[in-house]
Amino acid sequence: MSSVRPKLKPATPKVVTAWDASNGFTTYRTPSGDWTQNVAEAEVLTHEAADEALEAAKKDQTRATDPYLMEVTEDGKVTGRETLRESIRAEGPTCHPNYGRQAEVN
Amino acid sequence: MYRYDEFDEQMVRDRVAQFRGQVERRLSGELDEDHFKPLRLQNGVYLQMHAYMLRIAIPYGQLSSKQMRTLADVGEKYDKGYGHFTTRQNIQFNWIALKDIPTVLEELANVEMHAIQTSGNCIRNVTTDQFAGATAEEIEDPRPWCEIIRQWSTFHPEFAHLPRKFKIAVTAAETDRAAIRVHDIGLHMKHNAAGEVGFEIIVGGGLGRTPIVGTTVKDWVAKDDILDWLEAIMRVYNLHGRRDNKYKARIKILVTELTPEVFTKQVDAEFEAQRDEEKVRLPQEEVDRISDYFKAPAFETLPATSAAYEEAKANDEGFAKWTETNLSAHKVDGYTSVTVSLKPLNVAPGDATSAQMRVLADIAKAYSFDDLRVTHIQNIVLPHIKLDELYNVYLALDDAGLGADNVDLASDLICCPGLDYCNLANARSIPVAMEIQNMFSKYDRDLGKLHINISGCINACGHHHVGNIGILGVDKKGEEFYQITFGGRADEKARIGDIQGPGLRQEEVTPALERVAQKYLEIRQNSDEKFISTLERLGAEPFKEALYADS
Repeated sequence: MSSVRPKLKPATPKVVTAWDASNGFTTYRTPSGDWTQNVAEAEVLTHEAADEALEAAKKDQTRATDPYLMEVTEDGKVTGRETLRESIRAEGPTCHPNYGRQAEVN
Repeated sequence: MYRYDEFDEQMVRDRVAQFRGQVERRLSGELDEDHFKPLRLQNGVYLQMHAYMLRIAIPYGQLSSKQMRTLADVGEKYDKGYGHFTTRQNIQFNWIALKDIPTVLEELANVEMHAIQTSGNCIRNVTTDQFAGATAEEIEDPRPWCEIIRQWSTFHPEFAHLPRKFKIAVTAAETDRAAIRVHDIGLHMKHNAAGEVGFEIIVGGGLGRTPIVGTTVKDWVAKDDILDWLEAIMRVYNLHGRRDNKYKARIKILVTELTPEVFTKQVDAEFEAQRDEEKVRLPQEEVDRISDYFKAPAFETLPATSAAYEEAKANDEGFAKWTETNLSAHKVDGYTSVTVSLKPLNVAPGDATSAQMRVLADIAKAYSFDDLRVTHIQNIVLPHIKLDELYNVYLALDDAGLGADNVDLASDLICCPGLDYCNLANARSIPVAMEIQNMFSKYDRDLGKLHINISGCINACGHHHVGNIGILGVDKKGEEFYQITFGGRADEKARIGDIQGPGLRQEEVTPALERVAQKYLEIRQNSDEKFISTLERLGAEPFKEALYADS
């Protein structure tokens, strides 16, 4: 695993994030088990449901690389100890506003 | 420059074909990431914050115009139109799709390039003085020996799984521009008492979480013996280097734990124990064959001064100013070495667009004997420019946004990609670097030579330990802080900088450094006294007071 991240409490809202195996882009698991580059479309989970989603993601090797659980607010916004890191992953480099998802959105 | 023979060619082609198969198996699910990761790393492929990153080897930093054009093409076709030159004289592309990488490697192989030895626990790309073959300071051109070491180390079966990565740097000048004392092995080509050229061997230097200046283990060894000595050192390291803890696995830890004396004794014993058939005796004709690739180009016999150059300086203030900082003395009259700064304001240090790479390639082809160098300071060198033609070169560079006149000044800083790109980083580097550059731009030349190095984590890719001012980004409960060191240097007087105190919040860094700069201007003896000299004369205390004056 290239990414060992802080352990989150069971009740903390979280999403499964990974890297797209083909292009390496940041990706999030949706309620249907698909993947999206938009964190707002990710499935927010807690407790065993989050662990089960992570286990399912680990088996989805052709689409997702190195999945892990990432903290979000109940309505799916990036938050917590790793807010800066995860915001950069979600949006793109702060020094290059023309690159990453931020470029598509803006 | 060196040209591939049929063995090099075949080796690189085979490697590309092999990796293509591995990528296909990864994408089909036949290989999972845990099994694929060591394979991709052996081909320079990292998975970073936003995408795969491909690091391409530039052996000892030398590129032809054709190679630079290919890098430009890779940037344009497969990335986002730019590349990032690194502190290991390599280039990396930050947005490459995995499916494209075999094709990229194929295109690189067409111009004798690859991504081997840019990752993993092997002997990495050998680095050297960016002015090799151009400076009058060197006793001979170190590049043939860099190439010999490259050939010896590439796919060396005994050293393919070292305890940790291993970096070798070579210089043949007294002024150390290759930072040899902070490499796993630093080689300094010098004369012995009999006037023969050989190598001083320095071992156990390095940065990262345990920064150490290397120790000389051999004052001088003959060229004939250098590969055997390297092999002896590598064997002692391979056998006794720690594999239980990656943070203690570099050779510097082994040398420190054993003591340099005991380590040297073990190396001596290993060298003595080499049987005749183990000795790597390069036939002189092979040394000559490789050296031929690095023969001096057909320099013209020219006067030391140039009327055209002097006239352009008199008529163009910008050009005159640029010549003050971006030129280095050449060994041949009428020529100069140009350092092209990749540190203009508001650009990530070390970044160049594909268009700029093409301009550099065109200039190298037309004016610099088809020769380009990447520096570990993350700039580009055009090593052999005629003074008569320098103004044309400057105009072409300036037109392409490559005319920054700040080489060796405070804004010519070394900066790692930091948290904006790097999966290992704890804090951002590039935005801090840009802010500092902007602040220092108003001081222009007043501050003289000042090296500022920034790393976004303790791995120290931005060489913060050896910056005159070093900046290390750390994460404190999710907030970026920056620890400041003073007094580091990477040259022949290499020294690890001293941590000054608590880290500063990001918004505090630039104002604090400005106070340090003002203190320097106030207390230096005269404008010839560099920042590092004032610091070494007076100690860090006045600068530390200035640094924390607002706390």
